[in-house]
Amino acid sequence: MTVALQIDGLFKRFGKQQVLNGFSLQVRRGEVIGLVGPNGCGKSTVLNIICQLLQADTGQVQLMGQPMLAQSAHARTLIGYCAQQTALYPDLFPQENMHFFARLYGVPAAQRNARVDELMERFHLLPYAATRAGQLSGGWLQRLSLAVALVHRPELLVLDEPTVAVDLEARMDLWRLIEGLRDSGTTILLTSHHLAEAERLCNRVALMRGGRVVAEGSVPDLISRVPGQAVAKVQSQDKQAVIQRASELGWSVRQRAGNLGLLLSQPLSLREIVDALDGCKVSAVSVDPVTLEDAYLELIDLKHDSCSCFE
Amino acid sequence: MSPYGLFFDQTLAVAQRLLLEQWRQRRGLIFWAVFPAAMMLLFGLVYAHNANMRAGLDAAAAGILIGAALFFSCLGGTVSIIAAERERHTLRRLLASPLHPTAYFLGVVLAQLVLATVQVLMLYSIAWLIGARYHGSLLLGSLILLLSVFAYVGMGFFLGARFARRSEEVVVALSAIGVPLLVLGGTFFPLEIMPAAMQAVAQLNPMLHMNQAFKGVAAYNLGIAELRFELVFLCVFCVISLALGLRSYQHLRIADQKV
Repeated sequence: MTVALQIDGLFKRFGKQQVLNGFSLQVRRGEVIGLVGPNGCGKSTVLNIICQLLQADTGQVQLMGQPMLAQSAHARTLIGYCAQQTALYPDLFPQENMHFFARLYGVPAAQRNARVDELMERFHLLPYAATRAGQLSGGWLQRLSLAVALVHRPELLVLDEPTVAVDLEARMDLWRLIEGLRDSGTTILLTSHHLAEAERLCNRVALMRGGRVVAEGSVPDLISRVPGQAVAKVQSQDKQAVIQRASELGWSVRQRAGNLGLLLSQPLSLREIVDALDGCKVSAVSVDPVTLEDAYLELIDLKHDSCSCFE
Repeated sequence: MSPYGLFFDQTLAVAQRLLLEQWRQRRGLIFWAVFPAAMMLLFGLVYAHNANMRAGLDAAAAGILIGAALFFSCLGGTVSIIAAERERHTLRRLLASPLHPTAYFLGVVLAQLVLATVQVLMLYSIAWLIGARYHGSLLLGSLILLLSVFAYVGMGFFLGARFARRSEEVVVALSAIGVPLLVLGGTFFPLEIMPAAMQAVAQLNPMLHMNQAFKGVAAYNLGIAELRFELVFLCVFCVISLALGLRSYQHLRIADQKV
């Protein structure tokens, strides 16, 4: 698979804050890769640098094999950018918004109408053709924003938290649209706060912390890096006893948000766990397979953080 | 598409979008029409009431066009456009697109020129009805208006990029910086009654030269030879204005990074 985007050693500082600290990533053609990490870890900064809204202090970005800075204007035509905010003209109709940006990107007049019609249909916007963008609801605005980002057939689609401001139903709709794009071979780099979103949409996930990638791989690959096959979440009045017993049993213990998570080396039934923790004043136990969230917490090492920002 | 074709189409796209938005927000257009029309009518009444002032009516029409109508539509309008692009976050989309900064600037100029043409026709129709006349060359008058619109847009880019982050700040920026320039431009008082130091400073103000040049053509039928200083000043300022506009666009990119 050819490389669509190659990022090497990006550093970016805002005042005293080092936002990017040696960020590197490779995006192959046709894959969907998700940048996941806590607030302020530098996800949006990476996207801004790729979209040339920001300049890195040092580091290299290559798009389709060419250094980004050397082909500034051309590089912009290769990227479709969908920001967190929908960024549309509220007094224009959906198709007018698309036409405007199609012209900015140099889509030939002969192809423009067909392309806009195609996107109106594909994104189910035809019933809203006579509705100004400013009167659309959040979910439809985000659809339109996505359609606008695609109007010039970009080589790389950059989505900055595409479902951050929409309700659950609209989010599911947007997921289906992005899945459709993925299945048709569109290369997508997205950031997300929703692990479920990354899990569902991405071929690969890059976990970010402190301005760099701390782990990357497919979701099964990231999950396989957790030292356990299942997670037992335990509530107990005597946590120390649980921790001591778990270590005697050879189970790894993770304490997050006041809960105890026991990484089991092999799947056990609830009965077996309760029996194993006999005498530890256990009030509730649940057992789940290891998820991306567990992998995230394990690999990103949030143990010193007071909270995580995930749903 | 060739680079020139793309540049031309981008310019037209920006202008058409702005005009379409203006058309869809007709209330704003009505206010822009009412303001100079009301000014012209009021001035007309004052001048008609004083027989010895009637001769000044032709110059008043020219002054209202430059100092009131175009000031608010072309300068104020441009500041509003920049503030709105920021507020609606469309600025980020524009900055991420291959839109050439000069094409954006010229697109705004083109849209403002169309609006200015409508204002000129409307204002001079009212002026004609109340007895004011346009005496000079239409071609020269049009050239001065073109240079004035260009200069106003450049100043609008500067004010919008530097001082108006939100739409609420547009009026503040216009009042704090634009209105003093109007005063120094001889819109409210003739230059001769100002102190010498103010007169010297006023010479640097493009609005003064717009006023003097357009009044010279419209009211006193002056030609290129008599107005060459004003015309040269305005031409030079238009070049500065373009540079100012492009630099302001660059500033928008830098300012946007900090948001």
